[in-house]
Amino acid sequence: MADSIKVRAQMQGSGAEVRVLINHPMETGVRKDEKGAVVPAHFIQTLRITHNGNPVLESLWGVGISQNPYLRLKLASAKPGDKIGVAWEDNLGKKDATEVVVQ
Amino acid sequence: MNKALWAGLMLAILGSLAACQTGKDSAGPSPAPLALEGSAAPVPWKRYVVEPLGVRWPQTDWKSFNNLVQTASPPVGALPKIDGPIAGNAENGKKLVLDRSRGGGCITCHILGNTGSQPGNPGPDLSMIGAQRTPEWLFAQIWEPRLTNPQSFMPPWGTHGVFSVEEVRDMVAFLMTLKTPAEFKSDKENPNKRPAPVETRPNLDPTENPAAFIADKGAAAFRAAGPKGQACIDCHRDPAQAFAVWGAQMPSYEPRLDKVLGVEEFVTRHARATTGGEFPMQSETNLALAIYLRALANGQPIRVDTRSPGATAALARGQALMDKKVGQLNFSCRDCHDPERGGNHWFRGQYVSGLPNLLGHFPTWRTARGEVWDIRKRFQWCNVSVRANELPPDAREYGDIELALTTMNAGRKLSVPGIRH
Ligand code: HEC
Ligand code: HEC
Ligand code: HEC
Repeated sequence: MADSIKVRAQMQGSGAEVRVLINHPMETGVRKDEKGAVVPAHFIQTLRITHNGNPVLESLWGVGISQNPYLRLKLASAKPGDKIGVAWEDNLGKKDATEVVVQ
Repeated sequence: MNKALWAGLMLAILGSLAACQTGKDSAGPSPAPLALEGSAAPVPWKRYVVEPLGVRWPQTDWKSFNNLVQTASPPVGALPKIDGPIAGNAENGKKLVLDRSRGGGCITCHILGNTGSQPGNPGPDLSMIGAQRTPEWLFAQIWEPRLTNPQSFMPPWGTHGVFSVEEVRDMVAFLMTLKTPAEFKSDKENPNKRPAPVETRPNLDPTENPAAFIADKGAAAFRAAGPKGQACIDCHRDPAQAFAVWGAQMPSYEPRLDKVLGVEEFVTRHARATTGGEFPMQSETNLALAIYLRALANGQPIRVDTRSPGATAALARGQALMDKKVGQLNFSCRDCHDPERGGNHWFRGQYVSGLPNLLGHFPTWRTARGEVWDIRKRFQWCNVSVRANELPPDAREYGDIELALTTMNAGRKLSVPGIRH
C-alpha cells in the first residue's frame, strides 16, 4: 500500500511526464511545537524512481526540502504501458513505494 | 356559483393538498440520526497555537472589543484635547505608517507617495495629502474616521487604542510631508495596476493537491467500524450515489438544534449517534470525512434550502452578522470582502477576494499553511486577523454566516478539496 505517494505518468510528445506528490512532514529538527519543544527531525533521505525496474533517478534529500515534496520529471524513453516505480525512505527508517503504468 | 358550493370546493382542494403534503413527507427519507446533546467542538474552545509550517496564531484575548457574539467595543470616540498646534516627529511617523505589527500599517490601504513598497488600495491615495489637509483635520481622521464618515471602514486608530496621541501626532507630521505623486517602478508596485492573482492549480488532480491524501483517509474512515461495531458504509452501501448532491446542499438548517449545520458539524453529531465514532470538529478524521463526503458532490451546483422559517431566520441573522464590526481593528466581513469596500483590492501585497466568490472549494488545502482549512477555520482566522476573539467552530453564528455566504454562491459548482495560497 502506497498511502503516501501519488504518481501520475502521462505521455507528452515522445516521452512521459511523471509527477509525484509525497505526503511527508519533512521536519527540519528546528521547528518548535505548541509547548515550545523542538519537533525532532523527520525527513526523506532517499528517493528512487525506476522505469521498468531500471533506476532512472536516485536522489539524496535532506531538511532543505519542504513538506509534501513535489517532483516533476520527463522520461524521454518511456512508452505507454511502461512501469514507473517510486520509492522513498526516511531518516527514521520508514519507507513507502508504489508503481504506476504510463498512460 | 352558489357560495356554499364554492366553499365546499375550496375545502376539498385544500384537503387534497394537505393529503398530498403528508404523503410526500412520509415517503421521504427519515431525518438523519444526530446526537443533539453536547458540543461538536472541543470545550472549552482553545485557540490554535502553531501550524505545521510554523505560522503562529496570536494568543491575545480581545475581550474588550466586539466579536460575533458580544458587543464590547468603545463607542465612536470624541477627540482627545490637544493643547497648541499639532506637531510631531515625522521620522517616527514614517516608521509607524509602515509598521506591520500595528494593524498592518497605513500602507496596507493607502499609497503614500514613494514611501514603502507594495502599497494597498482600499483607501484613497495619500501621496499629496500634505498639500490638501490641515494637521488638525488629519489628526481627527486618524484618531476617529467615523466622525467624518460614519460608514468608514478605516480602523478608529485612536478610539480603539492602537496608537497613542503622540504616535498619531507623529504620523500627522509625516503625512504633512507628502506632496508629490507616487511614481511606480513597475505595475507590480502599483496596486491599481497590479494584476489580480488567479488560482489555476488543478485542485482536483491528486498529484497537485496534498489534500488528496486526506480525502483518502476520509474514504478509509467511512469504511472503518466505530465503537458500536458498525461503519458508515454499513448503512450507506453506495455513498457515491447516496451523496451525489448532498455536499452541494450543505450547510442546512437543523430544526432539532435550531441551528445551521455545516458538513463538519453534521459528521460529528451523526457519527456520535450512529457508529459511536468521536470526531470533533477540526480533528483530522472530521476534516477527512468532510472532504470525502463533499467531494462526492463535486461538479454539482451549490443549492441550499432556505425556505423553512428557521432557515429564513438563520439567513437573515447571517446577513446581519456579515455587517457586524468586530475586533480592535473594527472590520465587518463586508468591509474586507465587499467589492465596494476592500473586496477585490490589494491590502498591501495581499489580494482580498470579493463577494460572493469566497467558497465552493472548502475544505481547502492552504499551501502557505501546510494544512487543510474547513470554512469555519477560515472564519476564525478572518476574526483573529482583525483582533477579534474567534468563536468555537461549531458556533451558531458561524453556521448563520456559512448559510448566508453559501446562498450568495448558489449555482456555483462545487470543487473540493480546493487549493489556495
Ligand atoms: C446505523 C446506520 C447509520 C450509520 C452507521 C451511519 N449513518 Fe448516515 N444516515 C443514516 C440515516 C438513517 C440517514 C438519514 C436517511 C438517509 O439520508 O439515508 C443518514 C444520513 C446520512 C447523510 C445524509 C444526510 C442528509 O440529510 O441527507 C450523510 C452524509 C451520512 N448519513 C453520512 C454518514 C457517515 C459519514 C457515517 C459514518 C460516520 C454514517 N453516515 C453512518 C444512518 C446511518
Ligand atoms: C483598512 C484600510 C485602511 C487602513 C489600514 C487605513 N486607512 Fe486611511 N482610509 C481608508 C479609507 C477607506 C478612507 C476613505 C475615507 C473614509 O472612509 O474614512 C481613508 C481615509 C484616510 C485619510 C483621509 C484622506 C482624505 O483626504 O480624505 C487619511 C489621512 C488616512 N486615511 C490616513 C490613514 C493612516 C494614517 C492610516 C494608518 C494609521 C490609515 N489611514 C490606515 C482606509 C484605511
Ligand atoms: C481584514 C480583512 C478581512 C476581514 C474583516 C474578513 N476577511 Fe475573510 N479573508 C481575508 C483575507 C486576507 C483572505 C485571504 C485572501 C482571500 O482569498 O481573500 C480572506 C479569505 C476569506 C475566505 C476564503 C476565500 C477563498 O477563496 O479561499 C472566506 C470564505 C472569508 N474570508 C470569509 C470571511 C467572513 C465570513 C468574514 C467575516 C466574519 C471575513 N472573511 C472577514 C480578509 C478578511
